[in-house]
Amino acid sequence: MSVHAGRAGAGTMLDARGAAASIGWALAPFLVALLAGALVLVVTGRDAVATYQLLAEQAFGGGTAIANTLAQATPVLFTGLATAFAFRAGVFNVGVEGALYLGAFGAAWVGFSFIGLPSPLLIGSALLLAALVGAAWSFIPGFLRARWQVDEVVTTLMLNFVAIGFTSYLVNGPFLAVGTANSMSPLVAPAARLASLAPPSQFSIGFLLALAVAAAFWFVFSRTTLGYELNLVGSSPRFAATAGISLLRVVVLAMIVSGLIAGLAGAVQVLGVNGRFIDHFSPGFGFTGIAVALLGRNTAVGCVLAALFFGALSNGSAMMQLFSDIPLDLVNVLSGLVMILAVVNFAGLRPRRFAPLPAVAEADEALRDRGGPA
Amino acid sequence: MEILLNSLAATATVTTPILLAAMGGLINRQGGIVNIGLEAKMLAGAFVAVLVAWQTGNLWLGVIAAVAAGALVGLAFSLVVTRLGANEIIAGLGLNVLMIGLIGYLLPVVFDVRGTLRPPGLPRLPKLELPLIHDIPVLGPIVSGKDPLTYLSWLSVPLVAWFLYRTVWGLRLRASGTDLEAARAAGLNALGWRDASTVIAGAFAGLAGAQLSIGIVALFAVGMTAGRGFIALAAFYFGSARPWPTAGAALLFGFFTAAQARVQGLGVPVQLVQVIPYLAVVVVLTLIAVRRSRRRGQEAWAAT
Repeated sequence: MSVHAGRAGAGTMLDARGAAASIGWALAPFLVALLAGALVLVVTGRDAVATYQLLAEQAFGGGTAIANTLAQATPVLFTGLATAFAFRAGVFNVGVEGALYLGAFGAAWVGFSFIGLPSPLLIGSALLLAALVGAAWSFIPGFLRARWQVDEVVTTLMLNFVAIGFTSYLVNGPFLAVGTANSMSPLVAPAARLASLAPPSQFSIGFLLALAVAAAFWFVFSRTTLGYELNLVGSSPRFAATAGISLLRVVVLAMIVSGLIAGLAGAVQVLGVNGRFIDHFSPGFGFTGIAVALLGRNTAVGCVLAALFFGALSNGSAMMQLFSDIPLDLVNVLSGLVMILAVVNFAGLRPRRFAPLPAVAEADEALRDRGGPA
Repeated sequence: MEILLNSLAATATVTTPILLAAMGGLINRQGGIVNIGLEAKMLAGAFVAVLVAWQTGNLWLGVIAAVAAGALVGLAFSLVVTRLGANEIIAGLGLNVLMIGLIGYLLPVVFDVRGTLRPPGLPRLPKLELPLIHDIPVLGPIVSGKDPLTYLSWLSVPLVAWFLYRTVWGLRLRASGTDLEAARAAGLNALGWRDASTVIAGAFAGLAGAQLSIGIVALFAVGMTAGRGFIALAAFYFGSARPWPTAGAALLFGFFTAAQARVQGLGVPVQLVQVIPYLAVVVVLTLIAVRRSRRRGQEAWAAT
C-alpha cells in the first residue's frame, strides 16, 4: 500500500526494465482513456484518428498553440500539486476547488482595492493573501480530521460548495461590479495583472510560478525532514506515531500547504487570465487537479507532465470546437475516464498504486491512541 | 407567513430527488460503499427518462428506463470499485465528470441541441390529488397535488427501513458492508452484496433523475441536477445512514431549497441559503466526532 509507489518501490525499480514497466503503467490510464474516447467518437459516427490529429495540431502546432497549452496547464498544475501534497501525507483532500475560489477572491480583492500600489507590491500582496486565505480555509477540515477524526473526504467535498456559494454571494452582493449585468467583481488594477509572456496567449509568469511550486514540492519531499515525515505519515501512520512524529501537526500542515497552493491557483487565474473574480469561474480545476495528481503519481515531475497533458487536451479541444463539430465536452469524457482508470487495479496485474483509505483508517487509530482523556 | 406557506407547498416536490437519491446512497453506505457518483446516476436517469418517454410516447416507460439506466451505471461503478480495486471516492468523482462530458457530448452530436433537450409535446407526469386531504387548507397544498414519484419517495422510507432492518437480505447487505471478511467467513457473497447495494443506489438515483426531468418539467438540461446528488450525500451523512433521520435531513434540505427562491425578495442572499445543507453536514459530522471522542476519553478514564 502506498500513495507514492514511485518512491516506495525505488529500490526495486533501479533496473531499466522495472523503470520501463513503471512508466508503462503510469501511461496506461491515459492510453485506455484515449481508446475509450475514440470508441465514443466512432460510435457517434466521427473519425477518431482525424479528431485526435486535429486536437494534437491545435494543442502543439506552433508557438501560439504551445503557449495556449501552457496557459491551460497552469491552473491544473497548481491544483494537481495541491492535491498531491495532501495525498502524500495520506490526507484525502478533495477540497482544492473551494480553496481555489476563496484564494481567487482574495487576490481579486487586493487587486481592485489597493490600486495605487506599485506593481510588484500589488501582485505580491495579492498572491500572499490568496495563499493565506486558501491555507486558512483548508486548515479547518485538516484540524477537524487531526483532532477528532472527522472524515475529511466529506468535509472537504462539502466545504467546496460552501466556498463557491460564499464567493458567489460576495460578487452578487457587496462586491458586484458597478455597471455589469453578470456576477463579477470589479477589474483588478492593470498593475496587478500578470504579464503575458507570449501575447496574445494567456501564457503568463503564472506558469513559471507553478513550476517554482513544483520545484519546491520536489525539494520538500526529497531533501527535507518534513517531506520524510509527510511520506511516513502517508504510508504508515502508526509507525510514524511510534517514531515520535506528531500526526496532528503533520496532517494539519499537509492541509495548510495544500490550501496554500490551491489559493495561488485561484490568484493566478484572476491576475493572469480573467482580470477579475467571476462567479463560478472554475470549470472544475480542483477536480482535474485530482486527476493530475493521480496520473502524476503524486510526484512533482509527474504532476508537471500530467498538467501538460490536461492543458493540451483543454486547449486542443477548445480550438477543435471552433473548427469542427466535436464539442468541448470530449475533454470531460477523457478526464473522467483518466480519473477512474488511474485508480483501477487492472485485474491484479500490478500492485495497488493508490489506496489512501486504509492508511486513513490506520491514521485515525493512531491519532486516537495518542489521545486519552481530554 | 405567505412565504412560509408557499415554501412548504413547494417543499415536497423539490425534496423528492434529494430523498430518493439519499435513500439509495444510505443503502450503498450500509453496504460498505460511499457513493459520490449519485449525481452522475441522477443525470443519466434524467436524460434517459426524457429520451425514452419521447421515443415511445410513454412516460412510465421513461421512468422504468431511468431506473434501469441508473442501476446499470451503478453496476459499472460498483464493479470498478469491488472487482478492479478502484478507490470509490476517486471513481465516483471521475464518474460525475465522465457523465457530464458524455451527455454534453451526445446532445449536440446526436440530437443536434446544446445543453437542453426539449422534445416537442412531451408531457409531464400527472399530478395526483389526494381525496379529502386535497381540500384541507394549509395541509392540502403541502401534501396533495404532487407527482406520483413524490409519493413513491415517501413510501420508499419505510420500505428501505423495513428492508434493511427486518429482512434477511437487509441483514446480509449490512453485514457485507460492515465487515467484508467476516461476511465472507459466514458464507456470504460479500462483494456481490456490495454490488447489489450500489445497483439499488443507482436505481434510486435514476428514479430521482426521472422526477427532475419528466416529473417537474418536461425537458432535460445538462445542469438540471444542480448538485442534488451531493445534497443527498449530505443528507445521508447527516442522518448517519439511517432511513428516518436521513429522510428528515432530506426534508429539511428540501425546505431550504424551496424557501431560497422565495426569500430572495426579502433581501436574503440566495447564495448563502444554498450553502446551508453543506455547512450543516460539516457541523453535524464534527459534533458526532467530538461526542465520540469525549465518550472514548471518559471510557479510558474509567478504565484506569
